[in-house]
Amino acid sequence: MKKKVRILWLGLITCNGNTHSFLNYTHLEQFFNDFEFIYHPIIDSEYSLEDIISQDVACDILLIEGAIADDFIKADVLGIDIIKKYSNIVSKIVTVGTCATFGGIFKESHYENVSGLHFKEEKRTEKYNHLFEKTISISGCPIHPETLVSTLYAIKKGLDLKLDSYLRPKEYFAYTVHNGCTRNEYFEYKVDHHHFGELEGCMFYDHGCQGPLTHGSCNKILWNEINSKTRAGLPCMGCTEPSFPKQNLFSTKKNMGIPEFLPVGVNKRVYLTLAGITKAFKIDRLQKKLFDD
Amino acid sequence: MIKLIEKIEGEAKLNFHFKNNKIDKVDVDFMSTRHIEDILKGKSPLDALVINPRVCGICGHAHLIATVRALEDCYEKIEISNKAKIIRELTLNFELIQNHFKWFYLTIFPLFGLKQNVMKAVTPSQLMGKAIALFGGQYPHTSYAIVGGVVCEITQMDLIKLEHYIDETIGFFEKNLLDVDVQMLQDSDNVMNLLSKSGDLVDILNLIETNGWLEYGKSYDRFIVFGESSYFAKGKSIKTRVMHNLSLADVLESASTTSFAKSVHYHGKYYEVGPLARAMVKKTPLIKDAHRKYKDSMFTRILARVCEISQLLLHCKSLIAELDLSEPSYIKPKMEITSFNSSGSSAVEAARGTLIHKVVIEDSLIKSYEIITPTQWNLCGGVNENHGVSQKAMIGLENTEIAELVFKSFDVCSVCTTH
Repeated sequence: MKKKVRILWLGLITCNGNTHSFLNYTHLEQFFNDFEFIYHPIIDSEYSLEDIISQDVACDILLIEGAIADDFIKADVLGIDIIKKYSNIVSKIVTVGTCATFGGIFKESHYENVSGLHFKEEKRTEKYNHLFEKTISISGCPIHPETLVSTLYAIKKGLDLKLDSYLRPKEYFAYTVHNGCTRNEYFEYKVDHHHFGELEGCMFYDHGCQGPLTHGSCNKILWNEINSKTRAGLPCMGCTEPSFPKQNLFSTKKNMGIPEFLPVGVNKRVYLTLAGITKAFKIDRLQKKLFDD
Repeated sequence: MIKLIEKIEGEAKLNFHFKNNKIDKVDVDFMSTRHIEDILKGKSPLDALVINPRVCGICGHAHLIATVRALEDCYEKIEISNKAKIIRELTLNFELIQNHFKWFYLTIFPLFGLKQNVMKAVTPSQLMGKAIALFGGQYPHTSYAIVGGVVCEITQMDLIKLEHYIDETIGFFEKNLLDVDVQMLQDSDNVMNLLSKSGDLVDILNLIETNGWLEYGKSYDRFIVFGESSYFAKGKSIKTRVMHNLSLADVLESASTTSFAKSVHYHGKYYEVGPLARAMVKKTPLIKDAHRKYKDSMFTRILARVCEISQLLLHCKSLIAELDLSEPSYIKPKMEITSFNSSGSSAVEAARGTLIHKVVIEDSLIKSYEIITPTQWNLCGGVNENHGVSQKAMIGLENTEIAELVFKSFDVCSVCTTH
C-alpha cells in the first residue's frame, strides 16, 4: 500500500471556519488517497486528541488553525506545548487561516500574547523563529480550500514554492482580490456610484472594498467554484491580510476625497493622475444598467 | 469518571457520577472561550456583520442573519423588501441543511459502529455551500446580509442554477438517506411505514430499535422555538401542549461556576431547542407520530433532524417560486445606524436551535453585545437537582459510550458555546 502523508490538524483559538472550508474541496476523495489525518477536529482519525497529547505520534505535516496564545489550554494542556512537541516531529508546518498566521479576529481575545505563529499583524514574533524555515502560511478567513490542498500537495512533491514575506505561496497570494472581479471596469474607469443590491458598480470608492489592496486569488479561482464576495456585491474585507479585521469595514476612509488606502504599489500621485484622466471622459455603457431595455 | 468528548467543533468534558451502576449525574464542562462579545465592544455596529459569522465555522451564517436582524431591530421602522427577506431565509435554510448532513454522516454514523462517511457528508454540503455562495459570494463566512437588505442582485439564470443545486440535493437525500419521495415524506404521518424502507436513516433508526435503545435520550419533553420564519413557528411545547405566546425578555442567561458556557432558561426552566423542538411546535405529522411512540428520545431527535432536511429543501423551492426579481435587493435605510442610540435583539433558528443576539448601540459604537447559542440551551449544566436538558437525558444510562451518543444526538457545537 502506498504510504500516505500524515497530517495533524490542530485547532486552537478558532471558529473552525477553515475546517469547514476545507470540506468544500471538490476532490476530497482524491485527497484522501494521498493524505491521512492522524487527528482532525471533525474527520475520524486513527488517534484521539488525548492520544496526540499523551504520545509522540509519527507525523509529516502540522496544520495549525486558530490564534495562538501562551495560556490557551486544550484538553488540559497548553496549546503551545502541543505545537512545541509536534513541530519537532514534522518536517513542515502550515498555518491555516488568518488567525494562525497573523492573529486575526481572535488576537483581540483576552489571552496572553495572542498572535499568529510568526506574526502579530505584520510584526514578526520572535518566539518561534527556529520554525520559520519550515513554515508555510495560508491566510484567509477562512482559507480557500484549494490554496490549502494544493500547498499540501506541493509539500508532498517536494516542490520549491516561492513564498512572500509572510511565507504565503505566491502562486495564490501574488494576485490581488481585485484581479478577476466582474466589477473591474467600474474601478478602472472610476465610475464611483455603487449601490448595494445591484450588479453594477465598484465598492472601492465608498463601501470599503479592499480588493485592490488585498492579496488573494478569490476572483481567480472563485469560492465554492462559482462566485466571490466582490462579484456578489460585498466589499472585500481584506481577510487574508495581517491587518484583518480593520475597522468600519463597510465604508471607505478618505482624505480630501482620496481613499486613504490605495491599490498595492500605486502611490497617491499616480492615483490622482489616473483619476484625473478617467474623470475627463464618460463611458455611457458603465453609467447604465448592465441589462438595459 | 471524566470523559473528554472530542470532535464536537471543539471539545467538552463530561464528568459522570454513577449510582448503582447507572449514571446519576453528569457535569458538562466547556473548557475555553474566545471573548467575541468583548471583541465587539467599541466597534462600529456594521462591523458585527463581519465579526459575528466568525463565531462559528459551521453555523456562522445563522450568526450573520441574527446580527443583521438585531441591528435592524434598533430602528423604529426600517423597510426590507420581500425579496431580500426571502433570500435571507433561503441561505439560512441552506446552512441548516448542510449542517444536518454533516452531523448525520460525520458524527452520528461512527457512534453506531458504522464508518464515518466523509463523502456522503460533503457531497450535499458542497451543493448547499454553492447555493449560499450564489447569493453571498462564498461559504463559509459571507457578510452579504446588511442593514437594509442583501448586497446581491440575482437573475433568472442564477435561479436556474439554484434549482439544480436543490434538486440534486433532494436526489441525494432520496438515494442515500431515505428511499421515499420527499413530497410523500412530507405528507407521511406514520413512522412505522418508514422503517421498512431503505436508506442510511432507516439503518440508524433500526439499529436504535435492535440495540434496545428506544428509551434512551429522553429529557423533559419541553421544547422552545423563538426564531420565526415562513417555515418555523415560534412557541413552546410542554408534553405536546403548544403555546405560541413567548417573550424574549423572559430568556435568562446565568454563568456557571465550572464551565465557560453560560446556561440559559426560560421562566427558570430548561427547554430543548433544535429540529425536534421545531417539529413539535409546528406539529409536523411524522415527528408527532414518532413522539407519540417514543417521546423525546434519541430516536425521535435523530429522525426530526434528518427529516428537516427534506422539509426545508421543499420549502426552499416554494420560496423561490415566491421571489419577485423586480423588487430591490436593498433599500438604503433613511438613517445611518450610527446616528442614534438604540438597542435591538433578534432570534433565528440556527441548525441546532434558537440563536439569540442582543445589541446596544451608544455614541455610534457597540456598547454591548450578547449572544445566546442553541447549544447553551441544550447542553449547559444545571446545578444540583435542576439538571440541564442533555444532563437529564443521560441520567439512568448504563455506560459512558451510550451517554456520549445521547449527548451528541443534540448536535453539540463547542465553538458556538464558547464564543
